[in-house]
Amino acid sequence: MAAWGERLAGVRGVLLDISGVLYDGGEGGGAAIAGSVEAVARLKRSRLKVRFCTNESQKSRGDLVRLLRRLGFDISEGEVTAPAPATCLILKERGLRPHLLVHDGVRSEFGQIDTSNPNCVVIADAGEDFSYQNMNKAFQVLMELEKPILFSLGKGRYYKETSGLMLDVGPYMKALEYACGIEAEVVGKPSPEFFKSALREMGVDASQAVMIGDDIVGDVGGAQRCGIRALQVRTGKFRKTGKRKRRVNLGPAHYPEVTSDNIWGSPFQMFRV
Amino acid sequence: MAARRALKAVLVDLSGTLHIEDAAVPGAQEALKRLRATSVMIRFVTNTTKESKQDLLERLKKLEFDISEDEIFTSLTAARNLVEQKQVRPMLLVDDRALPDFKGIETGDPNAVVIGLAPEHFHYQILNQAFRLLLDGAPLIAIHKARYYKRKDGLALGPGPFVTALEYATDSKATVVGKPEKTFFLEALRGAGCEPEEAVMIGDDCRDDVGGAQNVGMLGILVKTGKYRAADEAKINPPPYLTCESFPHAVDHILQHLL
Repeated sequence: MAAWGERLAGVRGVLLDISGVLYDGGEGGGAAIAGSVEAVARLKRSRLKVRFCTNESQKSRGDLVRLLRRLGFDISEGEVTAPAPATCLILKERGLRPHLLVHDGVRSEFGQIDTSNPNCVVIADAGEDFSYQNMNKAFQVLMELEKPILFSLGKGRYYKETSGLMLDVGPYMKALEYACGIEAEVVGKPSPEFFKSALREMGVDASQAVMIGDDIVGDVGGAQRCGIRALQVRTGKFRKTGKRKRRVNLGPAHYPEVTSDNIWGSPFQMFRV
Repeated sequence: MAARRALKAVLVDLSGTLHIEDAAVPGAQEALKRLRATSVMIRFVTNTTKESKQDLLERLKKLEFDISEDEIFTSLTAARNLVEQKQVRPMLLVDDRALPDFKGIETGDPNAVVIGLAPEHFHYQILNQAFRLLLDGAPLIAIHKARYYKRKDGLALGPGPFVTALEYATDSKATVVGKPEKTFFLEALRGAGCEPEEAVMIGDDCRDDVGGAQNVGMLGILVKTGKYRAADEAKINPPPYLTCESFPHAVDHILQHLL
């Protein structure tokens, strides 16, 4: 326990995951996780820089921020790094016209993108729109391309809503990969490019940042691979693996610096913020 | 082949081997009669995710094949057997037409997932339900893992991608029960009282029929009907025990050389 101070020494900026750390989505927008609203407020009052680094791909940044503000969070759109805007930049750079397999809630982020005569597929957390027909359409577009290109906004396995765990975009990305014999390009955590852009926007070096998230692969593993320290919270999708429960081995072992009950667990007292 | 024991059982694929859609392979009914005149046990084995045994039987009877229902062993039968062995209550993600093959199986309060080709079930809420069962430790049983199939309006996703999705979400592996899995062939021989070395498989799919059977120690005969394409026999190593024109030729070979 005494090691926390050392482990978090020199931290100047904090990257915060949103879903499962600040709130759990669900009926009526979802609910804030106990203590998180105050924790964000205290971080912002401190000397630390704060940036929100999310794989949210079902809502536009605007809608997400409005929802969080309604739940009491001090957050603005300019403080959020999200995969949809990052994808738009890549599409423009490479002159690609996507077929979009995305939720209606995030479609507005692609408003300036040409989607006629598609030459790639973009898949995001489409939720209810992950129907057989929509998956099949994306599959057919890919199979007709000479060189199929698939972008996936994150590759999370699942996330937590107030009603329980929900399939994320990752399983559907894997389905299309398997069907077409291809590998998707992931935009979002754990891709290093995504963390680097969040650091750039926050103006803090990797060695001076800490990532706080509930996903051992996307948040913890991804951050650590970029040299960012990581802290896993026991909220959101975090599960204790009981006797009968399937133990989900989430890939190569990642060891978070600290695992805490919520983001206002004791690690942050070390900052005296 | 010197050490081979006497032939006791013959497994025969259906679609592409005995018939092609609604037409029998010429001479196949007669050939089957010749085979029946011997003492070998015959089983008809097929990968299907939507046709029940009853459906298959009706089609074969229309084509005047002499076959009884208990001689048919399908990937659905294999799934049912596994469900019974494990004594689980499955959530059945299969085509409605396949349901008769699961008659009598308890499905309330499910603690297992059986998945076939069932586009009408492959929407988010149902898959999420399956996902939550799997996270709670339910086994995942897949009829097969085909990537896609051909429909009149083009290619369409098979069950494989959705099985893969659930496997990834839960970091687990499905038990696949259809051809070319070893257990499929072993299960088909169960009750025949013979070893794989005493059986031969006849089919038109080099990998799934012939390769799969040979992997468990059976002899595999590839027929050049159905989905067979030139040089298919080169797709597996070791190659098929025999490649011949059609089912009647395969039967002739068995009668002359293996009995």
